Amino acid sequence: MSDTPYQHLRDLPAHHILGTGTPMCAGCGGLATLHQVYDILGEKCVIINAAGCMTLLSVYPCTPFHGSWLYTAMASAPAGAQGVRDGLDILKKKGRLSREEDLEVVVLTGDGSANGMGLSATSGAMDRNLDFLYLCYDNEGYGNTGQQYSAATPHAARTATSKGSLGYPGYKKDLFAIWAAHNPGYVATVVAAEPLDLARKIERARGLSGPRLILALAPCPTGWDFEPSASVEIGKLAVATGIWPLKEYVDGRVTHTKIPHPRLEVRDYLKAQGRFAHLFAPRENRKMIAEIQARVDRYWQKVD
Amino acid sequence: MYRIRFHGRGGQGMKTAGRILGTAFFLAGFEVQDAPRYGAERRGAPIFAYVRASRNPIFERGIISRPDLIIVADDHLPAMPGSGVLAGAGEQTVFLIYSNEEASLWQERLNLQGSVFTLPPLAENELRFRGAACAGGAAALLAELDVELLAEAVREEIDPLGSELVADNLEVALAAYAALAVNRGTVHEGGPVSAIDYASPDWLKLPCEETLLSAPAIHAPATSEMSQTGLWRSERPLIDESRCKRCWWICSTFCPDGAIQVDEERRPHIDYGHCKGCMVCLNQCPTHAITAVPEEEAAAQGEKP
Ligand SMILES: Cc1ncc(C[n+]2csc(CCOP(=O)(O)OP(=O)(O)O)c2C)c(N)n1
Ligand code: SF4
Ligand code: SF4
Ligand code: SF4
Ligand SMILES: [Mg+2]
Repeated sequence: MSDTPYQHLRDLPAHHILGTGTPMCAGCGGLATLHQVYDILGEKCVIINAAGCMTLLSVYPCTPFHGSWLYTAMASAPAGAQGVRDGLDILKKKGRLSREEDLEVVVLTGDGSANGMGLSATSGAMDRNLDFLYLCYDNEGYGNTGQQYSAATPHAARTATSKGSLGYPGYKKDLFAIWAAHNPGYVATVVAAEPLDLARKIERARGLSGPRLILALAPCPTGWDFEPSASVEIGKLAVATGIWPLKEYVDGRVTHTKIPHPRLEVRDYLKAQGRFAHLFAPRENRKMIAEIQARVDRYWQKVD
Repeated sequence: MYRIRFHGRGGQGMKTAGRILGTAFFLAGFEVQDAPRYGAERRGAPIFAYVRASRNPIFERGIISRPDLIIVADDHLPAMPGSGVLAGAGEQTVFLIYSNEEASLWQERLNLQGSVFTLPPLAENELRFRGAACAGGAAALLAELDVELLAEAVREEIDPLGSELVADNLEVALAAYAALAVNRGTVHEGGPVSAIDYASPDWLKLPCEETLLSAPAIHAPATSEMSQTGLWRSERPLIDESRCKRCWWICSTFCPDGAIQVDEERRPHIDYGHCKGCMVCLNQCPTHAITAVPEEEAAAQGEKP
């Protein structure tokens, strides 16, 4: 990744171009991701947005973007991207759009859409080798409708539809692996709490063509139940505990871009969030915490 | 029928307040509707919840437009037209405002015709009980609700969140009730609202435009900046220039809203028109150059929002 202009923290953009005044919650990790990504991508992109919290970014007459934004049904943002890409290509062919005027087509969806009803459209877009960038902000639930569980909700988390002492009984889907299995141009995980790693990956994706997919962990104070001011800390903890591995997939190979060493205990991450409070009170659920730790350990054993 | 609106910010427990009061009415034998407004706004943004209670079946639906009681959990809200605190307030509308200022001051300031009561807002560490405080205060003003009903309703609504929380919420709700109990029965039921006498305003008739003209296309960049999300804030982050090391712009990169820009001399500037007060910058600044100051204090120091 040394091929990008982002070598040091001081190389990060000092000027921020995403408009302020959006209705995302204070401390929103998804918005933090988008504003960092947009700084790297620049103004010349079209955003194709599936239903989710980010739908509210552009509500007439307000938009934080400098260019076009298209709203699609929750299942179909990648299909919308195909239409926009085709349209741009036709204009180019007819000589009505120069190379310099061409736009990057960017899909923006939440995890609910990406892991669930939007997965088929994403798979199809990859089959067709669509030239687009997909940014999924993963707040691990259906945030916009009150944080019901999604296929990306982690085991044991409390959601609006997974209450009680055990929380969500299922396990988080491995979307990175599912995407990578399609052998697209690029896949990476990022988190706004690691801005240099994020900048390098977005810059790298920008320089490639074909399907490029970015999965961003998006700490969500509202859905995860923590103080907005802790948004970045939670993201850092996710990396430091190994819960959120930072990695990328290029040319059939997965590389970890930051290996936490030593790895903090996952309980540090869990304890910081209200959605896991039932694992600590009224009694500490040692068994469940140990199980979550063991899954993380198993993951890193394969990496080390 | 009683028509009651709770105004607060997302995250301040107005939904809980509505549920507690609704349950208390229900236990008293009323038919009840209670609901938060489902809106596009987020934590920190102005929101409201409402309760209707009647001895008869309730056929009214939707937002309450003629409230008998308005509870304001955050005294920054009345100054924000978008919060809709004053919407539909008339002679018989009673106000309960969580504020350190005198009721008479609010009465004059907002030109209110009905009775106004104030209670001091809760301390910072008690903010999460604000919903219970509002419900307790509201119950005290209603003749049909007594302490037992209030306590039972708090237990019922808070119990799913854990027994410890029940005790704390109860304490806060009962304290608010006690503080206002002498005013019991101040709020009166409003009469039926009928659409029969509705006269439509003098609408302007607009002809249909061509689709391309009337389709919602936005022709300017970043128009979201017209929305003043700075109003969501209850505390303001202030940068102490002498402590700021003009690092590699940590605060400006981490600010989720991009509300901090850096000038050529690497000095960070917070855009208070849009900073939502999340305090991520305060938490991340390595030299602790940023402090949080309550909005009214900052305003008193002449810092313009
Ligand atoms: C087909 C369909 N089903 C349900 C909805 C209602 N809906 C709107 S946003 C949303 C949640 C989306 O979750 P996610 O993709 O994770 O985005 P987030 O809200 O978390 O940002 C749902 C269920 C919808 N818009 N379309
Ligand atoms: S619910 Fe979560 S993801 Fe949605 S706007 Fe709020 S903080 Fe962001
Ligand atoms: S993070 Fe702190 S030291 Fe760095 S620019 Fe901001 S205020 Fe200054
Ligand atoms: S408190 Fe700081 S980080 Fe949060 S919105 Fe305001 S300037 Fe940005
Ligand atoms: Mg989501």
